[in-house]
Amino acid sequence: MISRLRQQLRQLPEQVLQSNIWRSIFRQGYPDNDENRSLVVMNSVFLHFHPVKVKTNTLRPAYTLGLGIMSLFLFLILIFTGGVLTFLYLPTIEQAYVFIQELHTSVPFGALMRNAHRWAAHLMVLAVFLHMMRVFYTGGYKHPREFNWVLGVILLVITFLLSFTGYLLPWDQLSFWAITVGTNIAGYTPFMGAEVRAFLLGSTTVGGEALLRFYVLHVVLLPALLIILLGVHFWRIRKDGGLSAPLPAEEVEK
Amino acid sequence: MNTQEFAPQQQDKDYGLVEVMGRSTPMVNKGPEGTLPSWPYLFVWEALLFLGVSAMLLVMSILIDAPLREAANPNLTENPAKAPWYFLNLQELLLHMNPSLAGVIVPTAVLAFLMSIPYLDRNLSDIGIWFASRKGKLITIWSTIYTVPLLVGLILFDQYIRVRSLISEPELIPGWLIPMAVMGLLSAGLYAVVRPFRPNTREVLVAYFTGFVVTFFVLTIASTFFRGLGMNLTLPWNLPPGALSF
Repeated sequence: MISRLRQQLRQLPEQVLQSNIWRSIFRQGYPDNDENRSLVVMNSVFLHFHPVKVKTNTLRPAYTLGLGIMSLFLFLILIFTGGVLTFLYLPTIEQAYVFIQELHTSVPFGALMRNAHRWAAHLMVLAVFLHMMRVFYTGGYKHPREFNWVLGVILLVITFLLSFTGYLLPWDQLSFWAITVGTNIAGYTPFMGAEVRAFLLGSTTVGGEALLRFYVLHVVLLPALLIILLGVHFWRIRKDGGLSAPLPAEEVEK
Repeated sequence: MNTQEFAPQQQDKDYGLVEVMGRSTPMVNKGPEGTLPSWPYLFVWEALLFLGVSAMLLVMSILIDAPLREAANPNLTENPAKAPWYFLNLQELLLHMNPSLAGVIVPTAVLAFLMSIPYLDRNLSDIGIWFASRKGKLITIWSTIYTVPLLVGLILFDQYIRVRSLISEPELIPGWLIPMAVMGLLSAGLYAVVRPFRPNTREVLVAYFTGFVVTFFVLTIASTFFRGLGMNLTLPWNLPPGALSF
């Protein structure tokens, strides 16, 4: 009796993998052979961003330092924590600050969400910058990846802007004066400084209009732009044959 | 190769799709560059990294609270009023030259330089090699050794001697001509430093990119940790409360 049970238990994983339900979701069995290892990548919308096979050079931690993927993970964490914070926030000068205070005093895990969002934002700026340094110093920008490097520089700028627009939202002294200083810098644009600054702020000073503008930029327009360009960035990595790697020895000699 | 090995579900197959590679490889059972299946080799790394990043962030968020000062008050100027840290390098530049030059023209030029890098360096032979070569490594080190003390010296000079106290009128001279001359000389000097290495295009770019990165970090650190009341130089432990802009 017990040995029969044991035998059935032993067969259970295989039965689950063969079941209609498992197959309807994952379509193939466990990827322990080359065929299923290919299928698992091709059949999943999330995994198919990856190639079926990667260069061993790509897997060297000392080559990539994991910085690009870390930037992506921080961005995903920012979407999640930011989404939660959006439930509790209104971009008006009367309410914004009060909401942030309530996060710290009366919302369960509110402070944790806000802290995680803020630290992830700072870390993402740092990770994207270090990722750029990694790609430069390994020569990853070279042909055929020239334009993906240009896209990367644009993504760095968007990351700066995302962090900068979010900086105003708590509406405390730190954010108010930082955005005043930051937009003053934009106001020094030659010939049209006042116009640029007014376009950013929706007014001549940092006030309710600026808060609304920065909020919409921060939660809708800039993230949408970042996601689209990130899609192009990743797609081009695949089209250009994966991450850069040293040329095979016989090609260098040519 | 037995089909059993790579396609166990296709029992009736006794053939495989074979592609002739344009290149030879001394390795058996591997592609020309040496590849591994993404499952599990890549995905394990990604999963571990995600867990690591999440865990680190969770611990950090439990231990350190994000700052929240008093409610915004347009009538009460913060002193010092600082931009977020990644723009403090620009705010530092702002102290030393005309704001249009520091806040708009220089960053635009830097972005244009960054975007033009792949179109300047077309040599593929050293792709995928950290710092290009041993020479490239030395150039990186020497560019750093050259840039840091000069920047620190310039910041100290403009605080304690001040260009504008030597010559303040017209604005064109201290605001535009002197800073542009200084930046031009610094760039030319950097080339003079790495020239003895007989660098190729990429190695020259390594020198200038290093110059940019080092400048970015030196100015950011100076402005974040060494600028107190009225954005005057001070030591980190003498910073007024709330001068750190995180």
